[in-house]
Amino acid sequence: MPDDTYKPLLMGYLDSELTEIEVLRMEQHLEQCPECRRELEEFRKLKEVTQNMRVVTPDARSWEEYWSHVYNRLERRVGWIFMSVGAILVTSYGVYSLVAKFLLRSDIPLVVRVGIVALVVGFCTLLISVLRERIFMARMDKYERIKR
Amino acid sequence: MNLTDEGSIIERCKRGDRDAFASIVQHYMKPAYYVALGYVGRPEDALDLSQDAFVNAFRHIKRFDSSRKFFPWFYSILKNLCMNHIARTRRRQESSIDQMAEEGPVPIPVETVDPEQNALRRDLEARVGQALQRLRPKDREIIILQHFQDYSYQEIADLLGIPIGTVMSRLYGARQAMRRELERLGVK
Repeated sequence: MPDDTYKPLLMGYLDSELTEIEVLRMEQHLEQCPECRRELEEFRKLKEVTQNMRVVTPDARSWEEYWSHVYNRLERRVGWIFMSVGAILVTSYGVYSLVAKFLLRSDIPLVVRVGIVALVVGFCTLLISVLRERIFMARMDKYERIKR
Repeated sequence: MNLTDEGSIIERCKRGDRDAFASIVQHYMKPAYYVALGYVGRPEDALDLSQDAFVNAFRHIKRFDSSRKFFPWFYSILKNLCMNHIARTRRRQESSIDQMAEEGPVPIPVETVDPEQNALRRDLEARVGQALQRLRPKDREIIILQHFQDYSYQEIADLLGIPIGTVMSRLYGARQAMRRELERLGVK
């Protein structure tokens, strides 16, 4: 194994990132150390293999729209907070009104009152289910802008 | 890589100035994407997570010490998001590792006029992509930044908030791992 002190420097030498003094030190070491020379050669081959290759990068439009996506998310968070507060207030009032105006009134038949409760519960369940599905689909679709 | 007067831009962000934050985002969006790509492997997830990390950074920007560099602080937010994403994905699908190996950051083919050469090149690139995907996220991250995006050691050190010596030692370990993986895939 090459001397531990020279391992990191071997990288710098390969990538031309060393100072002149470090290069001299490294070259002196390389003359004496066949193990380091062998490693340097192998790393050089690795560099050649990956030369001119690039990882998948989003297209120019994705970069142009990058900030607007971040901005939308920032804005949406504020929107969600207001929406949640509003939904809690309206739902609480709705439940209160439902109980006070219909469910506690003895002049409305029990069947109608049970029917109203079933309707409300059913509507809310369907609404939540559809919303969840839409959100899930939106997450899948947003990747369309990536160019592979 | 340096943003002129980053400290004062951050101060404006702390006062809620979104235009100031836009300049931070535009300056760091590419390294953020490549760092995330190193961790999660899938380009779509990397783009998504890097954007989420900027949103989280803006929400907590008041906690940030503006005398320091932005990206190393942001990097810790991004890294946490990526690690959570990896954990969530692994929980959701047991076969995630195999899937990630197929969908990893496969290098883009460089086309030449010779079809036979193109086929060989594509095969090599697929193997490099597979080897890359088998690396530890930390190794993959530094390989992507140095090998595939040509960031200098100084730029990597600034981005990750680590000394240049650490960049070199991490690169040494990552390249050794990459070499082993390529050998396993028959690339000599």
